[in-house]
Amino acid sequence: MTSDGAVASRPLVVGRIGRARRGPLLLAGGGGIALVLGLVLGVGLGTVAIAPADTLAILAERLLGVDLGRTMTPAVETIVWELRLPRVLTSMVVGAGLAIAGATFQGLLRNPLADPYVLGTASGAALGAAIAVVIPVRVAFLGFGLLHGFAFLGALAAVFTVYRLSRIGGLSALTSLLLTGYAVGSLLAAGLAMAMYLSGAALRQIFSYLLGGFDTAGWPQLAGAVPLVAVGSLLILVRARALNGLLLGEEAAAHLGVDIRRERAILLALASLVTAAAVAVSGLIGFVGLVVPHVVRLVVGPNARLVLPLSALGGAALLAFADLAARLLGEIPVGVVTAVIGAPFFLFLLRRSRSGYEL
Amino acid sequence: MSASFTFRRLRFVLIVMLPVLVAACTSGATPTVSIPADATSSAQPAETGTPPPEPTEAATFPMTLTDDEGTEVELAAEPQRIVSLTPAATETLFALGVGDRLVGKVEDFSLYPPEAAAIPDVARFGEVDVERIVSLEADLVIAGGNNFNPPDKIEQLRGLDVPVVVTYAPDIETVFTDIELIGLAVGRADEAADLTASMRAAFDQVEAAAAGLERPRVFYELDATQAIYTAADDSFLAAMIELAGGEPITTGSTTSFEIPLETLVTADPEVILLGDAAYGVTAEAVAARPGWNVMTAVREGRIRPIDDVIVTRPGPRLVDGLRALARAIHPDIDLPGSAAASGSPSAASPAASAVP
Repeated sequence: MTSDGAVASRPLVVGRIGRARRGPLLLAGGGGIALVLGLVLGVGLGTVAIAPADTLAILAERLLGVDLGRTMTPAVETIVWELRLPRVLTSMVVGAGLAIAGATFQGLLRNPLADPYVLGTASGAALGAAIAVVIPVRVAFLGFGLLHGFAFLGALAAVFTVYRLSRIGGLSALTSLLLTGYAVGSLLAAGLAMAMYLSGAALRQIFSYLLGGFDTAGWPQLAGAVPLVAVGSLLILVRARALNGLLLGEEAAAHLGVDIRRERAILLALASLVTAAAVAVSGLIGFVGLVVPHVVRLVVGPNARLVLPLSALGGAALLAFADLAARLLGEIPVGVVTAVIGAPFFLFLLRRSRSGYEL
Repeated sequence: MSASFTFRRLRFVLIVMLPVLVAACTSGATPTVSIPADATSSAQPAETGTPPPEPTEAATFPMTLTDDEGTEVELAAEPQRIVSLTPAATETLFALGVGDRLVGKVEDFSLYPPEAAAIPDVARFGEVDVERIVSLEADLVIAGGNNFNPPDKIEQLRGLDVPVVVTYAPDIETVFTDIELIGLAVGRADEAADLTASMRAAFDQVEAAAAGLERPRVFYELDATQAIYTAADDSFLAAMIELAGGEPITTGSTTSFEIPLETLVTADPEVILLGDAAYGVTAEAVAARPGWNVMTAVREGRIRPIDDVIVTRPGPRLVDGLRALARAIHPDIDLPGSAAASGSPSAASPAASAVP
């Protein structure tokens, strides 16, 4: 939107408009194919080799009620249905949520370095998880341990604190939010370091949460994350117009009739909710929420109506493939894979993009 | 020293120390293995040694048993496809004669017995391949508590209706009850009771043999590449050293395994045992460390290697570990009988070749 005013040489403008028209379709098509491919490969591959026909038969029977007349051992059915499918779906939901949240925070804060964790969410979730590990209480409810609950609450509490604190003082709202987020995040990180120091043998549990991953994702975790991520993301999508307005700057947004403070607070709350749900299930997975929205913007421009849904698609596909790679490489941290896949691709896009890139 | 070497070292330290770690939780739990009245110094293998404290019921399946974390585990039938997620459990299962029922095991850098090499690895330190375990159709998984295996993986397995028995031995007595617990779970309760009875007898023997001897101050080096690591107060390792006739120099904390050099120098060890000998640490290297030459053990040349695996692994070879420890502390101790009397597989593996 903002870049439409660019007065450049004619061929370039034409080229850009042409690309802007085709870009979304290409990206949506590519993302859709990648998502399906990620699902098929994710369910089909793993440390145990299962014949593709068996995998298909199990999915057909469970999802569609079609009996293909193949007999599988219960172990194979368990692996496909209880281990792989919920894991792939969870990675997709988390990827979509993180990418949408990232796109929202970047637009909201008008800062290209913003990611879902920028306002202390990550530190809050990590500290919550660490406390859950350190205190000698074990509660489990439908597959959700104390760790998930504390991580979720920690993330929300951190953002709430940052938001409240940022409204005091004379700095501009955005600068204040960012700096407060940084300060609170640092404080929470100190708490996390202390909890890790005190954790003894439980250190590894905290560590694996910090690295993130889906290796224990099952249907309960998926069922817990889906409603929050889905509802939060949909509500953000509905507010894409307000997000576009905020991108223009506070004054311009006000002229467009956007209630800046209210919209900012709502979007902030929604993006934080989505992030908290995602990190509670998967631990801290970096990079997806930062880079996917940028990649989408490089292709389709800054319009939030396009950026948000396409980021969700891209985030889901990226994380599904990243988790598959992590799994096949022997359960290495998925955040490592997202960075290794994502960073070079992002650099490639940055170098190729000839037109000016604006948030 | 290459990076991978350092990493392996670190991993080694973690593997070795985890079973021992948080013996802190059971502070004051000094091992009460021996009953002095029984412990004669005669050369008789104490066939009438200490009886196991709890009589094991005849194993009938289906059964419900309670593991070390207090979880009730239901076993429908005698397990035939067992996965062992701790090196000690692997050794115990072989010692009970059910090694052939193992279908998967945890990766082990000091694998014992050699037959276990044929069993596929389905887990490694900090990681459990749940998918593999499900595909192996395991009907019993024996895991390690106190975060030896990730607790969320144990939960996941249980959620998939795979019975998991969690063992964790913070003290020596629990090593015996764990062997009995595993025996009960695999339908070999009687064999397990025999094994632990002979282990208890062997423990009594060592303690009795060490009873009349001087008790030198012993520093047991777990690792000293960065900081110096040794036994924590009231830890499993400290208890082993006491039973072997030494006065363990501990860290002064029940939770920390790190001892400052100043504390160590002040404590003035009379014997230094190199649990890290398998990693190439030698007496000469220790003597050459700055500041160490003031210690009595260094000045009088009592720095000795020891096979750390048998001393710290809470399995059937703990008897060999205790004997090795006693001989390392008191080179001329009179230990009647050989490893054969213990009923456990004899394993006088030379320390320096234990780990690749």
